[in-house]
Amino acid sequence: MKISVSRLVLNYGSRVVVDGVSFEVPSGQMVSIVGPNGSGKSTLLRGMARLHKPHAGQVLLDGVDLRSMRSRQVARKLAILPQSPEAALDLTVRELAWRGRFPHQGPLQRPTQPDVEAVEFALAAADLRGLASRPLGSLSGGERQRAWIALALAQQPRVLLLDEPTSFLDIAHAAEVMNLVRRLNRDGLTVVTVLHDLILAARYSDRIIAVNNGSIAFDGSPRDVLQPATLEPVFGIPMTVIRDPETGLPIPLPKATCI
Amino acid sequence: MSGIAVTPEDDALVRRPLLLGIRRPLIVASLAVLLLLGISFLSLMLGAVNLSASDALTGLVSNSDAFARNVVWQIRYPRVLDGMIVGAGFALAGALLQGVTRNPLADPTIFGVTAAAGLASAIAIVADRTIPQWGIAMACCAGGLVGSGLLFVIAWRGAVSTVRLALAGVAISAFFGAAIVGLLASSRTFLQISLGFLAGGMYGTGWVDFRTMLPYFIPAAIAAVLVSGRLNILALGDDVAAGLGVLTDRTRLLILAIAGILTAAAVSTAGLVSFVGLVCPHLARFTVGADNRAVVPISALYGAILVTGADLIARLVIAPSEIPMGIITAGVGAPFLLYFVKFRA
Repeated sequence: MKISVSRLVLNYGSRVVVDGVSFEVPSGQMVSIVGPNGSGKSTLLRGMARLHKPHAGQVLLDGVDLRSMRSRQVARKLAILPQSPEAALDLTVRELAWRGRFPHQGPLQRPTQPDVEAVEFALAAADLRGLASRPLGSLSGGERQRAWIALALAQQPRVLLLDEPTSFLDIAHAAEVMNLVRRLNRDGLTVVTVLHDLILAARYSDRIIAVNNGSIAFDGSPRDVLQPATLEPVFGIPMTVIRDPETGLPIPLPKATCI
Repeated sequence: MSGIAVTPEDDALVRRPLLLGIRRPLIVASLAVLLLLGISFLSLMLGAVNLSASDALTGLVSNSDAFARNVVWQIRYPRVLDGMIVGAGFALAGALLQGVTRNPLADPTIFGVTAAAGLASAIAIVADRTIPQWGIAMACCAGGLVGSGLLFVIAWRGAVSTVRLALAGVAISAFFGAAIVGLLASSRTFLQISLGFLAGGMYGTGWVDFRTMLPYFIPAAIAAVLVSGRLNILALGDDVAAGLGVLTDRTRLLILAIAGILTAAAVSTAGLVSFVGLVCPHLARFTVGADNRAVVPISALYGAILVTGADLIARLVIAPSEIPMGIITAGVGAPFLLYFVKFRA
């Protein structure tokens, strides 16, 4: 399922945070949104997920304006994992995943076979079968993040939006989470991720959108976007880009000014 | 409850069907209903005049014993039914408030909803001494909605800290409470009624209260059960809840309004009863786990048990006279709150 943003304007009070942004993410693409702190990238993602009401413009799922759909209907197609969701530490992993069935269930409805299958699929996909009965509070950061992804997967979304899913994770746990997301994407899920880490963005995206001051500064393949000439104006520091000897992918680094 | 490590085995034990494929909440609910029926029947038997079990039963089901019939049907039976509604009303309101504010100290009395409903009813009574029960009920509903509306304003984004919300609730509660006392003291009437109202009690309640509460208590109670699933989603935080399709502000407003109406029903009959709404949801979570779809209805049962039981005790300790029932619920609830603050919060 494709998701498009059309001349989207998002405000905080009277301050414009996202200023008339348009782009389209085709079905099955994995896009990373990068940019400096305060560039509006997280707000843009929240706007795409109807968590932030647009001042102007639209977000469209397969051409249909989100605002013309009921919020539950949207939740059956589009899932968002917000930045560091509050810890429901006493819930078990399976209970958390079951919450993802909410948009599919009526208020007094018994769980159906499709519900059970969706939850078990989500747990298996996030590699959490062995941890399903454990409370979130007893898990590592990476496992906990996978549990929240399992919640999103139980929604059976066609589009998955992730807001900095690897923040606070060490490199191994970050890779664990990104590998999971990429695998789901390879199976057809459209993914848009806000990422701080440019190296992860290079490695795990088909396309990178660099946001600065509420507008798109650059939009293209990792090889095109991750160049000193594009990154330097966005992040405001001198950058250097080396090549991963194995894959040839760009690895952007800040230029050392004091060693 | 709070981050207690649960081993996978414990977890499986809790969630596995316990007996003949019946799940834990159903077993707990069945036991609670049995206990409630037991207390109710004792309440029919005992009081200023004690009836034997067979007399009470005769009075309940036949006309053969005019005295027993009168005691049971005119006095004790409606009072038991009133107690069930009062208890269920406070407990449901407490379960909804704890869920929607994500605050374990939430309770209609602690958060000032009870006092708001009580003030409205006190104003109505002082303004018109002959006001019919339905007039008091309407005043209580208006007051309860104002009280829960104030909470909504304070807890607007659901991210208000536990401490701030509790303090705001205490302030609202103290303000309305003082207004009630001031109003009743300056009106120089109803001292007897005022004591029962302020301390919370079932003295003199009957069929009128029952008939007046039922038409709005039942829809509000059904609504409470229907929204309980959304409490589970709100518990995950506003962003996750909105992502799952819950309209968070509208849902919070709806749930607070339901809590206000349920509190109003209870206050219109029993006055300012404390702690029922605090204790019952915690006991429910303790017995059936954190899923609000079980916690909400089980809380209602526990509330009914607590209030009918407390009222029975209140009628017996200095029989043939009685003490306000709220003294008993506070006597049970206050130590519970202390325990909670010390060991769990």
